[in-house]
Amino acid sequence: MIESYHLQPLNFNPETPKELVLLSIIAQSFFQPFSVEDNLLVILTALTSGTGIGFNRAMLFLSEGERLKATMWLGPRSPEEAQAIWTMLSSPGLGYAEVVEHNRELIARTMESLKPQLKLLNYPLEDDNLLLPALAAGKKEIILVKEAFSEPLVDRHFLDFVQVDSFLCLPLLAHNEIMGEIVVDNAITRVPINQRDIELASLCALLAGNYIYTTNLYKKVVEMEKMAALGEMAAFISHQLRNPIVAIGGFTQQLLNNPCNPDRCHRNLGIIQEEIKHLEAIIYQLSHFLKIKIKELVPVDIQPILKGIVERPDIKNKTQDKTVSLRIMDNPPLIICDPVYFEEAIVNLLDNALDVSPAGGKIYVRACQTRKNWLTILIKDSGPGLDEKGKEKLFSPFYTTKENGLGLGLLFVKRVMEMCGGKIEVQSKPGHGTIFKLYFKAQERSGI
Amino acid sequence: MKKILLVEDEKSLSLLYQEELAKEGYQVIVVYDADSAMEKVRSEEFDLIITDIRMPGKDGIELIASIMGSRKDIPIIINTAYQSYKDDFMTWAADAYITKSSSLDELKQTIKKLLKEN
Repeated sequence: MIESYHLQPLNFNPETPKELVLLSIIAQSFFQPFSVEDNLLVILTALTSGTGIGFNRAMLFLSEGERLKATMWLGPRSPEEAQAIWTMLSSPGLGYAEVVEHNRELIARTMESLKPQLKLLNYPLEDDNLLLPALAAGKKEIILVKEAFSEPLVDRHFLDFVQVDSFLCLPLLAHNEIMGEIVVDNAITRVPINQRDIELASLCALLAGNYIYTTNLYKKVVEMEKMAALGEMAAFISHQLRNPIVAIGGFTQQLLNNPCNPDRCHRNLGIIQEEIKHLEAIIYQLSHFLKIKIKELVPVDIQPILKGIVERPDIKNKTQDKTVSLRIMDNPPLIICDPVYFEEAIVNLLDNALDVSPAGGKIYVRACQTRKNWLTILIKDSGPGLDEKGKEKLFSPFYTTKENGLGLGLLFVKRVMEMCGGKIEVQSKPGHGTIFKLYFKAQERSGI
Repeated sequence: MKKILLVEDEKSLSLLYQEELAKEGYQVIVVYDADSAMEKVRSEEFDLIITDIRMPGKDGIELIASIMGSRKDIPIIINTAYQSYKDDFMTWAADAYITKSSSLDELKQTIKKLLKEN
């Protein structure tokens, strides 16, 4: 016998321990495709909502460089506003998502009117004479402040702003680095902050610190990946441009050294002209590849496109001593793609297949449905096939076996497939040719 | 006359190098890929090998590894349009690494140095 449960925990009953409710709230929000700001808001909401810990207000500071900056403040600004909010939030049937939604609006309102004042709450962390609240982050300790108005360690700007006698400072740490700080208080109810509140709040702070750390790390990884791709691209472009430029420069030098020989002049100028054409082709292809961007995916009828490709003059020209066998299933479903990019992708693959197939060789193009809601297009050549190493290199950017190839064709096909939610697979063995299989999402014609 | 094997898939560049190095008094044999280069190395004697890195089929690094397996004595110059391969550990196995330039001076000087003609 088996029992299945929903991945996300459902609502808890009133007896459920607060720690569990809190963890569940935060875990659920990390499960959602929320933005960083929304997830941080969820943590502040968990600290301030009745089902969470129930502080009246929470202020988030984030560390930027060596400074701690007030970033978000959640909570009512007067007892009347508090009453209105709590009445609204206690209405029956209100879910957690609605609370977050409500808080998002509340924060937006607060931030709009208080932004200039919040901006002043900005502390240099390396300062030896740090005042509270930043002192908690600086010392990496949770600090509970009572009788704040008579405490010399409290920053007066902060106190003027929050106007509260007691507050709790929670440093947000991860891997011993300061990620930020949260300050909570009970400015409206004036209920004293007790030991259990501190324990629960520290749990939230721990999660928030690690969440910010992970998010920062993710941003760095994405940035590094971009830079790596850029570096690879720059190396490739300089390589591609350098070869023709060296040839142009070298043959020009020969002309300058020996201008009198008309045959040599004519030959060198011919080579220079060819290399310039090559440069133009590189620039065209690069810009074409880089600008690939599918605006809208639409249902596409593959029949006329595939039939049209086989009849294209550039393809026909290559098929004089080779055969292309095209077979499409009866009444094929429509694929979800961009028709222009689809055609280019197929032309690219067919062009490759024709290039590698020997004279008298046959190329098979098949379109069939092997799974519901998917359509497979298969292109098989009669070329030499690839060993494992060759297959590995196949989709590496800028790998080419063609004399004037750029090594962008297959990458282009792969990008098109990714952009339309499809998949590309390669089967190949030395001596047995290569098969490219393209899997497209599809929909039945009757649906149109 | 010293004999050089040039492995360069760019046809116009290989012609340029062949002509310019011939002017320096070398006999230059040109092949366009690594497999043909290995065949030549097995069947003929060369005083020096100049190879590109990025080529169709096996690349220059794989070629160097194969040559090192049988003929460690032949000096090898990598002549490539890529600057970034310089730190690749297999390029250390080559005797010199040159980034292609329309001036062939560096290449000519390196050949002279490796053939101890200075």
